[in-house]
Amino acid sequence: MEVTIQTQEGKTLVTLNGRIDTTNADRFQQDLAPLMQGDKPDIEMDCSGMEYTSSQGLRMFLMLQKSVMARGGSLMLRNMRPQVREVFDITGFSNIIKIV
Amino acid sequence: MKKRFNPIKDKSSEIIEYLMASPDIPKDEALEFKIRLSVEEAVENVVRYAYEGGIGWLEAGTSLSHDGLTLTIELRDAGTPFNPLDKPDPDITLGAEERNIGGLGIFLCKQMMDSIEYRYEEGCNILTMTKRIEN
Repeated sequence: MEVTIQTQEGKTLVTLNGRIDTTNADRFQQDLAPLMQGDKPDIEMDCSGMEYTSSQGLRMFLMLQKSVMARGGSLMLRNMRPQVREVFDITGFSNIIKIV
Repeated sequence: MKKRFNPIKDKSSEIIEYLMASPDIPKDEALEFKIRLSVEEAVENVVRYAYEGGIGWLEAGTSLSHDGLTLTIELRDAGTPFNPLDKPDPDITLGAEERNIGGLGIFLCKQMMDSIEYRYEEGCNILTMTKRIEN
């Protein structure tokens, strides 16, 4: 899993590439650490390169969503692949996190 | 095919890749995605929780029904007796604040596979998952 984070005109643009699974969930959590700080974050994630996520990846998305809400910010996931989207749908995560 | 892994500490990936390389699993991207997710969640459950410190064995196998239309994945371990299916499903209607982090693994297996059964037999936890393979 590769995570790139850029800041552009007050927005935080994140690109996810690869798979989030049992081998790299800890590293993914570390990679997301910069997004866990700051007031009113405005985060957009491009998920077109995210091939797979297990429940461990979902945990990280939930942690991030909770953190963003607590700081009065917003999180949006874009361009999710259908199979990954299904995982978000059946776990109810599509109702918790904004996906467009 | 089946294989016994011992010890299983830090062996999740090896066990998952062994199962996913099985000729019983059709080379179909959508199906493989669902099977991999279920296999990963079920294997992780055993590797993390079955034995104190992961010191113990896990036998992992796949088989196909005679008509070739039903895939079965079986995991067997001799760890602490534990029925993962006893755990209530997470409430997927809750908002982010109320949702607990975790508790999704076995729920995903239930959703992705057609059946999942647990039994305790001769000192072993046995988890059996099946998936209908479309032609």
